[in-house]
Amino acid sequence: MDNAVSTGATDEFFEQAVRTHAGDLYRFAYWLARNRQQAEDIVQNALLRGWRASPRVRDRAAVKAWLFSIVRNEYHRATAQDARHAGGVDADGIDIIDERASPFGMEMRDALMALPSSFAEPLALQVLGGFSCAEIAAMLETTEGAVMTRLTRARQALKRLILPIEAKERKGERS
Amino acid sequence: MNCLDYRRFLLSGAAETEAMRDHRTACGPCSDLLKEHAAFEGELRCALEVPVPAELADRLVKTLPAFGPAEAPRQDRRRFLAAAAVVAGAFGVGLYAWRGRDDPMALACIQFVMKDEAKSIMMGAMPRADAARVLADTLPIERLERIGQIRHIAPCPFGEGTAYHVILMVPQDKVTLLIMPDRSMPSRVRAAHDGMYASVMPLRKGSVGIVGTNAAVVDSVAGALKA
Repeated sequence: MDNAVSTGATDEFFEQAVRTHAGDLYRFAYWLARNRQQAEDIVQNALLRGWRASPRVRDRAAVKAWLFSIVRNEYHRATAQDARHAGGVDADGIDIIDERASPFGMEMRDALMALPSSFAEPLALQVLGGFSCAEIAAMLETTEGAVMTRLTRARQALKRLILPIEAKERKGERS
Repeated sequence: MNCLDYRRFLLSGAAETEAMRDHRTACGPCSDLLKEHAAFEGELRCALEVPVPAELADRLVKTLPAFGPAEAPRQDRRRFLAAAAVVAGAFGVGLYAWRGRDDPMALACIQFVMKDEAKSIMMGAMPRADAARVLADTLPIERLERIGQIRHIAPCPFGEGTAYHVILMVPQDKVTLLIMPDRSMPSRVRAAHDGMYASVMPLRKGSVGIVGTNAAVVDSVAGALKA
C-alpha cells in the first residue's frame, strides 16, 4: 500500500483483503483461542487495528501475512488482558458440527484440540495460511529450524493420537 | 537423501524439493508413505477448516469505521465498561496527569506501535547476547527481565535514527518499549492517543519510550525502569 494512494482506494483495498481472508483469519484465531466467540472478537479487534494502520502499509503483497500477524498479536494481547482466554477451550468450541467431517476427521479435530498451542499455531499458519517455514519463523519470532521441528512434532503427535483409531476403522472395514 | 531425512521433511509439511522427489521415485516404501501422508494432510486440512460463522466478512467490514456506523467492538465495549469502573475509582487522579500533555516524541511511539510494530516483528528478532551487548550502557537487558518477559527484541528505524524495539510481557499487560540510545530527553513526557498511552523517559544514556493500552501499567513500567 502506497502513501500516495487515496483514502478511498486504501479502504477499498483493505475491505477486499478482509473479504478474501476473513475465513482463514477466523479459523486461525479459533485454533489460538479454541473458542468461537473469542475467535470472532479477536479477529474483529485485530481488523480494527489493522484498518487504522492500513494507510501506512507499503507492501500490498504481504497483506495476508500482515493480517495473520495482527490476529496473532491481538490474541496475545487479549490473553494478557483477560485471564479467561488463558483457559482456552470451552464446550461451545469443541462441539462444532461439520457435515464434511468423517469419524476420522472428528477424531483429528479432537486431537488438534489436545495439541499444545506451540504446535497448533505453526500448523494452522502452514495449513490454513499457506505460509512457508521461513515466513512462519518470522511471525513467531523464531528460527526456521525451530518451526520445522515444531511442525514435525505436531504431526507426529497427531498421528499418535489418531492412528490407533484409524487402524480400528480399517480393521472394522475388513471384518 | 535417505529415508529418515525424507520422512522428517515430509512430516514438517514443507513443499517437496527436488531431492525429496528423487528419493521418493527411487524408494517404494517412501512412495507408499507419501500416499498415506496425503490422506492424513487432507484430513488435517479438513479438521483445521472449522466452519466460519455466516456473513462473518460482512459483519467484520461493517465494524470498520469507513464502512459502517462507528461502533466499538463488543470486546472493546466490555473492556471499556470494566476499565471505566476501575479507572474512575482507582486511577482517576493518575489519568488526570495524562491530559493535555501530548508530546510529539511520545505520540511517535504510539504511532510506531499502531502502524509499524507488526512489520518490525516480522523482520525477526536479534539474539539475546547481541541485545545485551548493545544495550549494556543504555538499559541493561537484565533490568528488563526483572520486570517482565521479553517476547521480542530487535533494532528498528525510528524517527531519524535507530531504536531497539522490545515487546515486554509484564504481569498485567503487554507493553512495547522503544529504547533510543542516541536520543536524550531532559525529562519525562507523555501522550495518549486512540486508546494507547506512551511515556518517554530519560535513561543514563539515551531514552526509552513505553507504550501500552493501560495508563497505569505504562506508569508502573516507567517507575520500575526508573528504579
